[in-house]
Parts: sequence; structure tokens; C-alpha cells
Amino acid sequence: MVSKQLTVTNSQGFHMRPATVFVNAVSKYKSNITIKFNGNDVNAKSLMNLIAACIKFGSNIEVVAEGEDEEAALAEAVQLIEAGLGEE
Amino acid sequence: MLKGIPVSDGIGIGTVRIIKNKEVKFDDRVIPENEIESELGRFHSAVDVFCERTKKMAEEMEQSVNPKEAEIIKGHIQMISDPFMIGQIEDQIKNGTCAEKAAENTLNQFIEMFSAVDDELTQQRATDVSDIKKRLLRILLGIEEIDLGSLPAGTIIVTKDLTPSMTTEIKKENINGIVTEKGGITSHSAILSRALEIPAVLSVPEITKILKDGDSVIIDGKEGEVLSDPTDADRQKYEKARVDFLKEKEYLNTFIGKDTMTEDGYHKEVFCNIGTPKDAVTAVQKDGEGIGLFRTEFLFMDRKTAPTEEDQFNAYKKVAETLGGRTVIIRTLDIGGDKDIPYMEQSKEDNPFLGYRAVRYCLGDKELYKTQLRAILRASAFGSIWVMVPMVTNVYEMRQVRGIVERIKTKLDKEGIPYDRNIKVGAMIETPAASLISDILAKECDFFSIGTNDLIQYTMCADRGNADVAYLYKPYYPAVLRSLKTIIENGKKEGISVGMCGEGARDPMLIPLLLAFGLDDFSVTPTSVLSTRSCISKWTLEEAREVANKAMSLPTYMEVEEYLKGIVRK
Repeated sequence: MVSKQLTVTNSQGFHMRPATVFVNAVSKYKSNITIKFNGNDVNAKSLMNLIAACIKFGSNIEVVAEGEDEEAALAEAVQLIEAGLGEE
Repeated sequence: MLKGIPVSDGIGIGTVRIIKNKEVKFDDRVIPENEIESELGRFHSAVDVFCERTKKMAEEMEQSVNPKEAEIIKGHIQMISDPFMIGQIEDQIKNGTCAEKAAENTLNQFIEMFSAVDDELTQQRATDVSDIKKRLLRILLGIEEIDLGSLPAGTIIVTKDLTPSMTTEIKKENINGIVTEKGGITSHSAILSRALEIPAVLSVPEITKILKDGDSVIIDGKEGEVLSDPTDADRQKYEKARVDFLKEKEYLNTFIGKDTMTEDGYHKEVFCNIGTPKDAVTAVQKDGEGIGLFRTEFLFMDRKTAPTEEDQFNAYKKVAETLGGRTVIIRTLDIGGDKDIPYMEQSKEDNPFLGYRAVRYCLGDKELYKTQLRAILRASAFGSIWVMVPMVTNVYEMRQVRGIVERIKTKLDKEGIPYDRNIKVGAMIETPAASLISDILAKECDFFSIGTNDLIQYTMCADRGNADVAYLYKPYYPAVLRSLKTIIENGKKEGISVGMCGEGARDPMLIPLLLAFGLDDFSVTPTSVLSTRSCISKWTLEEAREVANKAMSLPTYMEVEEYLKGIVRK
């Protein structure tokens, strides 16, 4: 299991469009990917759960990946969030 | 007369058509073991049909409305394709629940989750899920969707709530107005009716019960009014208002993409006031020539700790990039004891507007201020950013801020981080003190921007929120006009740019005076860009000066107001 803590820096947080970008990117990995936020474990491959989690600009989250390709999965997830989830 | 929330400007006159979503009813049956495979198949093909139809709707929408609105619909495909959610529904079917019930259970659960979140955007997604649920159930049950595309010309749609899928079918030439029982200014119904340019009034209680199919009705999308059973006189009045509105809109549209210029060819600029990076996009869409006021408070509110330099840098950079090299004036933190921000140690004050706020607070908490200024400087490498200091009352404050900026520059140089070496640092002129010393302040500022809202309040000593003294809160008092004249003329004498970012900048009664005094840029809400540009184009400087001389010679605000009402040009 690998994980990293980071802060969400795109203005919309995990709203519809950024969350879609994220889910589409991480779904190709076999590992289970979870976002820990506000005491909840959110399935990072589920758009609906991500939206319901209401992760906003400035939220502190932890991304956790567990599985055969966990290193690559975590790296891409973190890179995406740090780059602002495709927001212009 | 019924009242609702006005969300899409314009007058609609027409015939009511109540749109009711037929209740989707189904028998909750138990699926026997041997039919489970086929029930799963039924569910999956319904999802496929849903996605196929939705894709087609999105494509049509891209043509008829715009790509941004089509995104909402495309999002429905993404939502229903959520493997986790599909899995939940499949699990129930495998346990013998029928497809309808299984889908309803799971989707209801998400509607509840989304609605329970204390965030308006997330709550709005509940409307999407509810729309998805209804459409999916109709597909499973083989119920045809309502065909809004076949409504006749002159229809006013009256419904509980407009769903995104409903709006895709609307033919805008046939629909004169929209009235709903639910929804606010940022709901789908609002966004879509504005995109379609159909007048709309939302949140009118019980409207689907009060009106009947075939009723005559008039709606006013500016005032939020619904007038049922209008008289001939009403009809005439509103028909005139409707035609005037359309004419004015068509006329203002001729100013899109034009330079802002006085009638005799002096170049001016119309900027926008914004509060978030997202607003910057609206400002560009509405043809703003820059950002005259970017309020940064949003970055600091609703959070437990101060935003980091990186948080701020990203927000400022984004606005700079959105504006593509055009001016972005960022106002540094303007906050005081009236706002409760836990990580800022503010004591309760008897009079927060005369207290420890804005630049006073920032110079007292230098670490917080340095972080913000450093973020702004770093972002200045990505566009044309100016720094505006709020609530300045003396020259020393400007020197202190400029000193901090210079030291940050030296540090950034050492670290090899790029920034705009010639970044402008100026004062927001909103206190009588700053106005009175604007001649000496101008020598130490790269620009002025007048904040009329506070300038009026502080000059007239009248709290703008207090109804008992509201009569004093007007820009037409000679004291305010003299102050404006002094500020602008002193700024121009030193050759610095002078702008205005309060409500006054878009007031057609004040614009000739501001032109006469020499104002350079007018910063307004995005929706007022075109009307402000149009008004400026109606005046030569000579005519404006005549009006200003006359207005400045009148001793009471009543006379000034009365006089200026008579000279308005739009």
C-alpha cells in the first residue's frame, strides 16, 4: 500500500468535470484507489461517491493505492490533482 | 401578481402549458432465480439506451444551445456509468429485486447524499441524479418521454422543475417563457434559460396548481413577476416593454468586440469586478477589457487555516491566464472584524468599519500579507497583474506595502523565480483621508482605483445597510462629487491611471461627470459591460464637461439628481 497527503488546488475541487477527469484516468489501474477525506474512505473510481464527498478547493486529502500497480496509480493520481484536474 | 426569482431577463407573453412528469409507477416484484440473468440483461440494455439517447441529446444541444451546456448532459452518461453504482444495482438484482426497484433504491440513496451536503453545487447534482432516475425508469417501463419539441409557438412552460433533459428539446422560437416552482439563480433551469435567452421566473410557489393549460400569462424575467389573466392594458404595457427590451439588447450587442470610446474618439476601458477565478471566464465572455477588481477574500473564507502561497498563486495565475495579457487588478485582502475567520486573530470591535481591517490588518500580520503579495508577484509572470491596496488613509501605508513588495522581488530574484519587474502597485481610494491627500498619494502610487461604495459611506458617514440613513447613501451629494473630482484630477495631474470599481462606474447619471473629470477605466459587473460602453460612446468630452460644470454648481443632492436624470444617455 502506498499513499500521499496533498491539498486540492483547483478552484472547483472534485466537482462534476474535474472528478470525471480524475475517475477516467485512475480507472485504468487494477489497484484499489481510495481518497481519505474528512474521516471517510471514498472509492476514487466512483464518480458518484467522489461528488458526494464534496472535496473542495483547499481540502486536505490522502490518496491511497493498493494493488499490483499501486506505485503507478498513485503517481498519476497525485500528478493529476497537483496539476489542477484539467481545469483551465 | 405572483412573485418568484428572476433568472433570465426579458418579457414573455403567451399561453400556459403545464408540463407534468407522469409519475413513474411500477410493481415491485421479486425476480425468481431463473430470471435473474435476463433481468440483469434488461437493466444493462436500459443503461445502454439511456447513454445512446443522452449522447444524441448532447449533440443536438451543442448545435442549439452551446457546448458548455451540453457538458451537463454528457455528465449524465458519466454518472450512470459509475461502476461502483452499477455494481450496487446489480447486487440487488442478483438478490431478486427487480431492475426498477434496484435502480430507484440506489439512485435515491445518491440523491439523498448529494442533497445533504452543505454545498450548493453538490446539491444541484441531486437534480441531475433525479433526472437520470426518472429517465432510466421510463426506459425500463417503456414510457415515452414528454415531447417538448412539439409545443406550439407562444407557449409559456409551467412546471415544477426544469430538468436538463427537458431543456434539450425546447425549440426556443416557440417558447416565450419559463416558470417553475423550484430552482434558484444558479440552478440548471436558470443557466439553461439564460443560454436559450428565454425569459424565466423560478421558485413561484404552487404555480403548477394556480395556472391551468391555456391560461393567458405574462412573465417579467427582470422583476421576477408572473401576471395571470392580464387585462388589455397590461398586455399593451408589457408588449411595449418586451419590444423595448429586445431592441435594447440587439442594440447593445452591436458593441460586442468594439473599443470603448467617447463620441469624440477618446479611448477608455470597461473592466469587470470579479470574486473568483470562474468569474473571470464570465468577464471575458461578456466582453470585459480587463479585470478592474479581483476580490481575493474568497480564498480566505470558509476554511480553518490560511490559504498557502501555492493555493493563492494558482488562483491568481488562472485569472491572469484567462485574461490573456489584459489588465488584472488584484485587491489584497480586504477583511476586518465584521467577518469571522477563525485563523485570523481578530477581536470583536464596536465599529469594525472604522477598525482593524484591510491594509491595517495586513500590515499587522505581515506573514499573511507577505504570502499573499509573493503569490501575486509570482502570478505576475503569467499576465498583466496590478496590485491594489484597500482602505489606504496615508502615504506611509503605501510606502510600507511597496517596501514589502521590493523585498519580495529581491528574494524572487535570488531564487530565480520569474515575475513582472514593473508590476504596478496602487491604492484603492475609498476613504475621505485618501481623497484629501490624493495629490501627494498620487506621487507614490502607480494607479488609483476609486471604490465608490465605501467612499460614499465614509464621506457621508452613512452605513449603507441602515435603512434610516439610506437617503444619505447616494453619489449625488456635492460632497461625494467634489471628492471624486479631486481624486481623479489629482491622479491625472501625476499622469497615473485612474479607474473606478464601485457601482458608480456603470451609472449613466455619473458617467458624463467621470468622463469630464478624466477617469480612464470603468470597472463594472460583467453584465453591465455593454451598457457602460454604450453610454460612454454617447458623450463628447466637451458635452460631458458642460454637464459636470452644471452639476457641480448645484447645492443639494435633490437638484443634482433631478438634473442628472434629465441628461441620461444610453
